[in-house]
Formats: sequence, C-alpha cells, structure tokens
Amino acid sequence: MDYGYGLIGIFILFGIVFVIFTIFFAGLLRPQRPNKTKLENYECGEAPMGGAWIQYNVGFYIYALIFVIFDVEVVFLFPWAVAFKQLGLFALIEMLIFIAILIAGLAYAWKKGALTWES
Amino acid sequence: MDYSLLIPEVVLFVWALVLLLYNASAKTENPRAIGLFALIGLVAAFVILWFVPDGSLFGKTFISDTYARGFKMIFLLAAIVTVIGSVDFASKHMKHTGEFYSLIMLCVTGMMFLASAGELISLYVALELSTISLYILAAFLKKDLKSTEAGLKYLILGAASSGILLYGLSLLYGLTGSTVLDEIGYRLFLNEGTTIAAVFAIVMFVAGFGFKLAAAPFHMWAPDVYEGAPTPVTAFLSVASKAAGLVAFVRLFFNSLLAIKPEWVVIVEIVAILAMVVGNVVALLQKNIKRMLAYSSIAQVGYVLVALSAGIDLSVTSMMIFLLAYLFANIGAFIVVIAFSNATGSDNIEDYSGLWKRKPSLAIVMTIYMLSLVGIPLTGGFIAKYFLFGAAVKEGLYTLVVIAILTSVISLFYYMNVVRIMMFRPAPSADKIALPWMIKLGLAISVIMVLLIGIWPGPFYAWGQLASTIFHF
Repeated sequence: MDYGYGLIGIFILFGIVFVIFTIFFAGLLRPQRPNKTKLENYECGEAPMGGAWIQYNVGFYIYALIFVIFDVEVVFLFPWAVAFKQLGLFALIEMLIFIAILIAGLAYAWKKGALTWES
Repeated sequence: MDYSLLIPEVVLFVWALVLLLYNASAKTENPRAIGLFALIGLVAAFVILWFVPDGSLFGKTFISDTYARGFKMIFLLAAIVTVIGSVDFASKHMKHTGEFYSLIMLCVTGMMFLASAGELISLYVALELSTISLYILAAFLKKDLKSTEAGLKYLILGAASSGILLYGLSLLYGLTGSTVLDEIGYRLFLNEGTTIAAVFAIVMFVAGFGFKLAAAPFHMWAPDVYEGAPTPVTAFLSVASKAAGLVAFVRLFFNSLLAIKPEWVVIVEIVAILAMVVGNVVALLQKNIKRMLAYSSIAQVGYVLVALSAGIDLSVTSMMIFLLAYLFANIGAFIVVIAFSNATGSDNIEDYSGLWKRKPSLAIVMTIYMLSLVGIPLTGGFIAKYFLFGAAVKEGLYTLVVIAILTSVISLFYYMNVVRIMMFRPAPSADKIALPWMIKLGLAISVIMVLLIGIWPGPFYAWGQLASTIFHF
C-alpha cells in the first residue's frame, strides 16, 4: 500500500522545519526598532479603525458570492486556455456554454439589483 | 458518446434558467402563468425520459439505466404533483414565484444527476445541487420567522452531514484508489477481508445519508424544518429528498459495498429499528399536522431500511414501489394541508374537526391517503409494505419484521386519529371550504394513483423489478 505518501511526509516535515528555522533566524538577525505605525495591524495600507467583531452589512455577502463565481470561472478558464490547441472546437463550445450559464447568473443578479449598493 | 442521454436534464436546466431570467426581467408577475410554464417543463422532461436509452457517458460518470430512469420518474412525478398543488399557495403567499419554481426544477435536475451518478465526485456535486436548492426553498418565506429558522437549521445541519459524507467518500477513495463505483466494488471484492477504515467509511455514509433520509438518530432537523418550511416545499422535501437519499445510498451500498455487506448490515438494521420506533412513538404526541407527517416520514424510511438490510433484489423492487405509493399518498396529504390552511389558516390537527361536514370530498381523500400511509389493503401503501417486509422475511430478518409490524400498529393510531377528528367531531364553523381546480387536480391524481397501485400492482411491480436488474446480488 505504498502510493508514495512517504515523500509527501518528508515535504511536510521539511515545510514545518523550514518555517520555524527562517522565523527564528530572521528574529535573531534583523534590527529591532519598533514604532507605533509599524506595530499596527496591516490592512492593505488603510489606517485600521475599530475592532473586527462588528456586524457587517449583508450586502457584502452578495458581492462576495458574485466574486467567487467569477473566481471559480477563471480557475476553469486557465487550464482550458493552456490546452486550447489540443482540445479544439468541442472544448470551445463547452466553455462557451459554461460561460453562458455564468452570464445568466450575472444577468439575474444585475437585474435583481444585487450590484447597486443599498445602505 | 451519446449525448442524447442528457436531454431530460438539459431541458429541465435550461427551462429553469429561462424561467429565472424571464422572471427577473418581467415587469409584472403572473404566478399562475409561471406555475403552468414550470409544469410544462417538468412534464416535457418526463415525456422525454421515456425515450432515453441505456448507456453511460464520460467514463461511467453519468449512467443511464433502468434504476436511474425509474428514480428520475419518481423525482419528476414528485415535482409535478407538488407544483400542481402549490400554484394556489404560491400565488397567495409568495413573492418571487419564478424563483420558487426554478429552484424546484434545479433541485430536480440535481436529483436526476444524482440518480445517474456512477462516480463519487459527480455523486457529491449532484447531491449538493439538490440540497442547496432545498435549503433556499425551506427559507423561502423571507418574512416568516419559522420559515427562515427552518432554512437556517436545515442549512447548518445539512452542511455538517455533507461534510461527514464527503469524509466517508474520501476514505473509500483512499481504500480503493478509484472514484468510479463499479471499480470500487470490484476492488473491494478482490480485497478479501476489510480494514477498519472501511467500517469508518460505512459509518460515515450511514450518518450522512441518514441525515438526508431523516432516519433516526439523524432525524432531529426534520420536524422543525417540515413545520417551518412553506407547505408545498415540505411536501416536495418529504418525498423527493428521501428518494434522493435512497437513490445514492442504494447505488453506493448495493453496487460498491456489496462485497463487504456483513460490515454494514448491522448498522443499517439499527438505524431502521430506531427510525421506526422513534418516528411512530413521537408522532403520537404531535398536535401540528405537518410535524405529525414529519415523524411519520421518519417511520416510513425505517420500513424501507428494513427491506434494504435484506440486501436482495426484492429490496430494490419493493423500495421503488414504496416510493411511488408514498409519493402520491404523502404529497396528496400535504395538498390537503395546503388546501385546509389556505381556507382556515391553521395546521393544527384539532382544527380539522368536522371537515366531513365542511367539505366531504376533502375528508374522503385525506382518509384514503392516511389509509395508504398505514398500509391498509386496496391502497398503494399496503402493496409497498407487503413487498418491503416480504424482502426482509425472505432473508430471515424476523426480529426486524416483528418490530416493523408492531410499530405499524402504533402508527394506525395517529393516522386514524386524523380521520376520527375529521369524521366524528362537530365542526367549529359551518363555513364550506372551496377548492381551486388546480388543488382538485392534484388531489385527484394522487388518489387515483394510490388506488391504482393498490388494486393493480402488476405493472408497478414489473417497473420496480426492471430497476433492480442492474444490481448483481
């Protein structure tokens, strides 16, 4: 019952040891000059404000869902684009059907006003 | 590759999308027209299904055989009868009826793919397509607290059970190195002696599918969801989601796991006993008719599991007949509940008193459905139970059959209690109850089918037997 999982085990071990090793040595080597701005939470460059345990507007979820749909679409589109020449016309039609279904979803969401922000 | 095997599913899916988009763009909503449009789509898929041949696609990912097509008929019939019975409810209580019908159609599409799934991943994806639609349907009355509560409970417990099921599937893949069901069965057959991991996988399948079937001890969501969900959704849920659980359960256990049958029989037997006892005993205490039918459905799935633990071809045959009889009796009973609550706004069993005076025909059809659910001769329920228990007797599972018959006697009390209240109690008001013609149509179809299966079971038995021929016992 050896499917080569031992190799994966070695990778996992190596991954864990590597992370511990680098964090530990980076802590030893780097200069330590903390200030207030440096110690703040990182929020993509924005100045952070308030706690994270607040109620979010439910509107965010609709955007998140629509985003996920197109994220997944891209996941399918990339391998198809790479193998486009071998797959040929049939895969093109299949991909068009796939995108058409997603567009139907977007059209529905748009029509229902999911893309207009209500505060 | 013969893509014509997919036509019923494609028709249904495109129909649902068109309905969704039309409904989003239409200025005014005409619930009845939308309902009829959905009905035409479902009937069209049903008609096309008759002409679909045997075959398989994508390396046995999609299988079209007698078993799959038999179940697809059950799903479509359940949706057709539900839609017929819910047009009035929808136009009265619901906004966004287009979404309602297209969700039902998407759910049926998922179930149809589930019936044809010959491979673990497509099985799981199809199961999710059907259950996610059902979560939304259960919470469809957005402003109704009970409905949203039902949807949320169903979602959380359903997600947990899907996770358990998925873990079991991954164990099975790890054991056999294949996701194709036939291949898994073959490898388990060659691999004499099972490992402990196979037992773990089986326990997880029973738990995961037990949830979808609402079999005790995985039934706790059912009463709340059945009560809170809009009644047409409950009607559809009580039949179609059970059939969907069974179609995958039986294909997985009788196709792939038959080689290790001694490992799973005991677990299925225990679940069967618990479901029959819990369902039938707790149903005695219910005041709300939807909750009572929820517990009755828990008990009914126990009877099916009795037959399935026999693990012979008659198990599959009897399950098919049972599902057909149960479909019409149960959805019929829910259409009566819809009609009654539309007229009076109540779901309490007590309020059914004197229905015989207020609308004799409604009381009579409800009596027939109740008799069929008990399993009285001349109704479909009798034939179904006869074959279910017959399968268990054939394999010598006498303890199970005795428990099944004893709990059936208990069930007689709560089903007949409804009849007693309808027939012999004085009516609280003399108001007559009017029935819209769509509801009449739904009730008539159900009654005719329940009696037809009871009086002339031959063709239905042949149909069930045909479905069981794909398994090699």
